Formats: sequence, structure tokens, C-alpha cells
Amino acid sequence: MTAITLVAAGAVTGVVAAVFGAVLPRRLRVTAAAVLVWAACSFEAAAAIHVLAVGRPIVAHSQGLLPVTGADVVLNPLGALFVLLVVMVAVPATMHAIGYSRHGLDTRTAACVLPLFVTTMLLVPAAGSVATFLWLWEIMALTSLLLVLANHVRREAARSAGVWYAVMTHLGASTILVAFLIVAAGADGQSFAALAQHARHLAPGVRALVFMLAVVGFGSKAGVVPFHVWLPKAHPEAPSPVSALMSGSMVALGVYGVILVGDVLLGGGPAWWWLVVLGLGAISALFGALHATSSTDMKRLLAYSTTDNVGLVFLALGASGLFAAAGHPMLGALGLVAGLVLVVNHAAFKGALFLSAGSIQAATGTTDLDQLGGLLRRMPQTGALFMVAAAAICALPPLNGFIGEWLLFQSLLHGAAIGSTAGELAVPLAVAAMALTAGLTVVAFVKAAGIGLLGRPRTKSVEVAVEVPATMRLAVGVLVAACVVLGVFPMLVLPAIERAAKAAQPSVGLTPLVHGVNVQLAGLRGLLAPAELTLALMVAVAGVVTIRRVLARHPAPRVLQAWGSGREIQTARMQYTAMSFAEPVQRVFDDVLRPVQDLDVSHSAESRYFVESAIFHSAVDDAIERGLYRPVIRAVRRWGQAARRLQPGSVHRYLGYGFGALIVVLIAVAVIG
Amino acid sequence: MLRALWGPRATEPLARNEDATLGPSELVGSLQLRHVDAGSCNGCELELTSVFGPVYDAERFGARLVASPRHADGVLVTGPVTRNMAVPLVKTVDATPQPRVVIAVGDCACDCGVFRGGYGVVGAVGDVVPVDISIPGCPPHPTAIIEALRGVTRR
Repeated sequence: MTAITLVAAGAVTGVVAAVFGAVLPRRLRVTAAAVLVWAACSFEAAAAIHVLAVGRPIVAHSQGLLPVTGADVVLNPLGALFVLLVVMVAVPATMHAIGYSRHGLDTRTAACVLPLFVTTMLLVPAAGSVATFLWLWEIMALTSLLLVLANHVRREAARSAGVWYAVMTHLGASTILVAFLIVAAGADGQSFAALAQHARHLAPGVRALVFMLAVVGFGSKAGVVPFHVWLPKAHPEAPSPVSALMSGSMVALGVYGVILVGDVLLGGGPAWWWLVVLGLGAISALFGALHATSSTDMKRLLAYSTTDNVGLVFLALGASGLFAAAGHPMLGALGLVAGLVLVVNHAAFKGALFLSAGSIQAATGTTDLDQLGGLLRRMPQTGALFMVAAAAICALPPLNGFIGEWLLFQSLLHGAAIGSTAGELAVPLAVAAMALTAGLTVVAFVKAAGIGLLGRPRTKSVEVAVEVPATMRLAVGVLVAACVVLGVFPMLVLPAIERAAKAAQPSVGLTPLVHGVNVQLAGLRGLLAPAELTLALMVAVAGVVTIRRVLARHPAPRVLQAWGSGREIQTARMQYTAMSFAEPVQRVFDDVLRPVQDLDVSHSAESRYFVESAIFHSAVDDAIERGLYRPVIRAVRRWGQAARRLQPGSVHRYLGYGFGALIVVLIAVAVIG
Repeated sequence: MLRALWGPRATEPLARNEDATLGPSELVGSLQLRHVDAGSCNGCELELTSVFGPVYDAERFGARLVASPRHADGVLVTGPVTRNMAVPLVKTVDATPQPRVVIAVGDCACDCGVFRGGYGVVGAVGDVVPVDISIPGCPPHPTAIIEALRGVTRR
């Protein structure tokens, strides 16, 4: 079987899965679709592994598949890495969807669209021409939009989230279209190879325009500030497996798009392009992390944390391009590898976190942290998996988040003396932004795990929550296992990532890492031994426990009620809440977060000294949504209101418009003719 | 103001009574205290304020006030135990990790003082929780309180 057959087989299986999802009875449809999606994933994964192992791209052209242009497949190692990334998220997400299906995924539409969404994501990195890419990109956007709207009947907010997502994704798609059209206009054909050939001869200004349009378009898919506004709206409303797919893999395809245009098509660019990317990344990372610390809804928190992580990836890409432009190809390659590692890691832990948030939602009916609590005791396995994934996203050593951030820090720290003023100013600022982001991420996830899983349940529905079905736990477990493996044995995947980076920067083609058990930087001083580190940590923990056992001379521990200021009656409502946990951070960063707090006290009719009721309301507004989007929306609305005056509903007026237009055209023709 | 800036320090030098050794040996050197007002007239609170103020400064002898019994090694109780404060007092002492000391400050805490037999009074501190150290006086002089605290910290 040739490799292209595998790609085609995957696509066909995906479509069959969609058909099965649409026609089978409700009981079977999600399971059947999921199993077929796994088959599609394994075909595509086989093709991707083949490409990464052989190092040669799969190239094919089919005239009949798409009208006029035909479809082109070019699966190079860079695309193959992203295919594997999508597979890594899609298999657990669809497995989780089986147990989750009664929360909006077992409708005919959803069960049909979910396999299509996964299939298009698998195929986007294999697209070899503008038309093929845009077709798949659009289907991916539309299917994910339908999935965001899966609960629109029951939830008002899902409708508004759908509108936001639709508008943002289509604005992004249109800028991508324009970027491609500018390059394709003079190129010989519309395949990416022809575009890359032609792009070399474009004027610098045109190249810059293409790159910036691509950054805006793909950035809106990736959720980079200021195009992130749809993330915190769409993710809480979408069914959790869909959130996991969108956040873990679709966002990664936005990063793929930036690498595709910046490195593959345009072949790199001047330093200021990459400074823009680096700046966007740093701002996104900080903004996302800050909002994650102050969000009280678990899935909203995860959505903002996606902005934070994608920001770090953009920061890595920006640093990589900056170093390459300054004449340090080795550092550039290292930065790109760091960016790709961060994307892969993000897919693993964010997928796991969104899926476990979905498990919690399925068990308790809510993702509001201030209503959860005490879940570690009620759902021990889901809770433990959530904790491990949260530790991974906080970049704690034996897990995968650490490897990515270590590589990025190494590339930044070694790039501090690259010999260009702008770079030498930008790099230390980037390091500082990254360090602050890392700290804020820890605050956000200590909050998510501490308030949501520990303590006592705050509502009845949480009190009676029970562990979710085995498939859902297994799905999260697979991704958490990926976090552990990527963290302890990164050398299993780093060669593949290097090969992908090499495909992205063909002119450079350097290997920034030394191969062995440990992660070692070639030509630079930097060594990380994750396996030994893990072993050392385990020995240290075991040692501390043993010493404590041996030296224990304290009396036996007493079990007492939690300290509640000595009150006679203690309730679960007296616990620390997510809102109160975030309050100090909100206070420090109130210039950015602008928290709105409102205390409404109504007094008793007899005396002001007696309070009848008190309502406290606190919310954090997205400053960019308020400052950038709301004015535009208001202007558009005003314009629409004005345009309505032209359309009063009178047939006579409309006939009059037609007549007037005809007269104008006739006069114009007479004058010109 | 110049005297305040350059003059001698305000803290009183205090002689230590070497014989006084109170409390468990684990608390020698450092004593973190949570104060509970079980129904005091606030006379003892005034004295406690000056005990931890700049003039008497008990912190130089290792005794310190903390905000939660979870952080504390001991509980300072003032006033007779009123009905409202009986349960909170028991809970506070319970919440203080062992080894701990319970110090009754003032006559009211030791034997209800002038409030003995009052309708809202449950009893002396010793009737509600086991007391380790009693400091009599209405209110006790700061030096008396410090002498007792130094008996625990032995500094």
C-alpha cells in the first residue's frame, strides 16, 4: 500500500464515519462514528509516521476531487507532525465523546459533523495548494461552528458564542485568502511549491503585507491577543470533547499556518516581522494568564490559558525568526523546535484538562468553580488525572510542560547576545514576560485544582456526583500518559520534531539537539536529563517519606474540623472561593483586568441597622473586547440602523429604486457610449 | 522629633526571673500566640497592646501574636467566659496544634473577677478549657504578662 493510499483511506473513512453518525439510531451513532474516526486517525497517523521516518513528502494530485483546480496533497514532515498532533487529541476526544454524548453530541447533526471536523483537521496539514487548503480550512471552521452551537437550544449563551466565533473565524479566513491571493497572483499555478518559488521575487513590502495578513488570519484561529475574544465565549459553550479538539488541535493548526506562510512560503523575513510575532506572543501569554487567574468558570479559565500557551508558542516562533534574521541559524532552529514542542505539549495537557472538565461537567452539571469542590474524593481518578495535567501545564519538572519551557528559555537566554539592538531589547523582555506568565499560570491552576477538587462540595449536585464511565477516564488517561511520556522520555519524539522543523526551514536544516537519552543543545551549553531528573525526584520523595517515618516522634495526628473562626455552625459556603482566591491578583493587575464589583444591600423597613439581603456581584471584563470590539460592533449596528431607513417595506419604494437605478445606468451608458 | 530619631530607644530593659520555667520545653525560644477575648472589659486588651508595643516589646523575648490558632503555639484568653464565647473558645483551643499553652490573662480569666455569677457568664477560663498559666491582676501589669511569657520562652 503506498503512502498516498493511506491518506485517501483516512479521508474516506472519516466521511463514512460522518455518514454513519447521521444515519444510525441515537444509541449507536456516536460510538460508531468514534470507532470509524479512530480508523481514520490510524490511517493518517501511519502516513504521517511514514513521512517522518522516510523524510520525503507524500505528493499527489487529483483533478476530479475539487472543481477547476483539483486537489493537491503534499504531506511533508512539518505537516506530518501536526497530523500526529491532531491524532493524539482526536482519538481520546472521540473516545470521551461516547460517554459525554447525552450532553449535546448525540444529535444527528453533531454525530455527523464531529467526524468531519476531525477529518478536515487531519487533512489540513496535508493540503498542498491554496484551493485545497482553503476548502479544508473552511470546512473545518464551519463544522467546528456547528459543534459550538450543539447546545444552542438549551443555552442562550451558545448562540452569542456561535456568532462571535463565526465572525472571528471568517474574518481570519478572509485575511488568509487575501494573503494567498497576493502571492498566487503572479505565481505559476497555485500549489504551495509554486507560491514559494514566486514569493522570493516579491517586493519586500508585499512580502511583509502577506506575512502580516497571515499572522492576523491564522492568529485569529490560534487565539492570539487581540483576536482571542471568541475563545472564552466558544469554549465554555461547546461540548467538552469539541473544546478539547478546538483548543488542542485546531488552535495548533493556526500555528501551523503561521509557520507555513512565514517559513515555508516566504522563507523567513526581516527581524521586524518576527518582533511583531514575538510581541503578540508575549502580550497574549501575559493577557491569557492574567485572565485565567481571574476566571471562575473552569472552561473559561482553560480557554484563556489556551491564549496564554499559544502566546508562548508565538513567542518561540518570533524568537526563532529573530535569531535566524540576525544570522544565528542554530538558535533559530532551536527556537522553532521549542515552539513545536510547546504546541505538542499544549495539545496533550490542554486536551486532558478540557476532557476532564467535561467529565466534571457530565458528573455535576456545572463547570463553575464556585459551585464545585470536594471532587477529588467523589471522582478520585478523574480528579487525580486533572491534577497531573494541571501540574504539566504549570511546567513542573517530570512532566512535558517543563521540557517545552526549558527549551524556550534556553533559546531565549542564549539569544540574549545576538548583536542587534532590537533583539537585545526584546529578548530580556520576552524572558521576563515568560517568567511572569509561568507564575500566573501556576496561580490559575492551583485555583482550578484547589477550589474545584479539594475542600467540600458547595452544591447538592456536586455532593452526589459519582465517577464517570471508564471510557471517559481512559480518554483523559491516554492524554495524561502522553504528558508523562513526553516529559520523561522527550527523546522519543524530539527527533521527529526536529525533522519537522527542518522541513519548515529548509535553507537552514540544522539539528539543534544532540541525540541521546538526554536533551542536549548542539553547539551551546545546555543539558537536561529528564529521566535522571525523574529518578532523582522519586528517590528524594521516597527519602523524605522514609526519614519522616523513622524520625516521627510527634503524637498521632488529630482529625478536627477545619478552622472556621470558631463559629458554631460551619457550612461549605464558608470555604475559600475562586473569586476570593483571584482577588489579590485582580487587585494588583486592576489596570488590565478592570474588575467590576458591586455590593447591593437592602435594609429592613423598620431599621437601617438590619440587613434584609445583600447581593455581591463581581465580574472581570475583557479589556480588548470592550475597547476594540464593542465600538466596532456599535458602529456597525448604527450603520445597519441607518440602512434600514432605505428599506421601509413599501413595494412602491423598491420599484422606485429599481427604476431610478435603471435611469442612472441608461444615462451613464449614454454619456460614456 | 530629633530626640525620637537620635535619642535612646523607647524599649524598657527588663530583668528576667530565672526561676520561672513554665510550659512545655518544645516552646522554648519561640511562642506564637492567638488572643481570644472571651468577654473581657478590654482593660486586659489595653495591657496586651502595650506588651506587644514598642515600650515593653515582648517580641524581643520570642513571643509573637498571630492571626490564626492554626499558626499558634498558645492561646491568650482574657475576660470571663461568656455564653457567646464558650464554644468559640473551645474550638480555638482545639484548633491550636499541640504542644500548646493556654494562658489566662487577668483576674476575670482566672476566677471571673467582678463578673462572678453574672447571668451571661459561664465561668472562668479554667472551667471551659484546661489552663496552663494564670496571670492575676485587674488588669495585670505588662511586666507581669511578659514575665509569664518569658517563663515559657525562657529568653
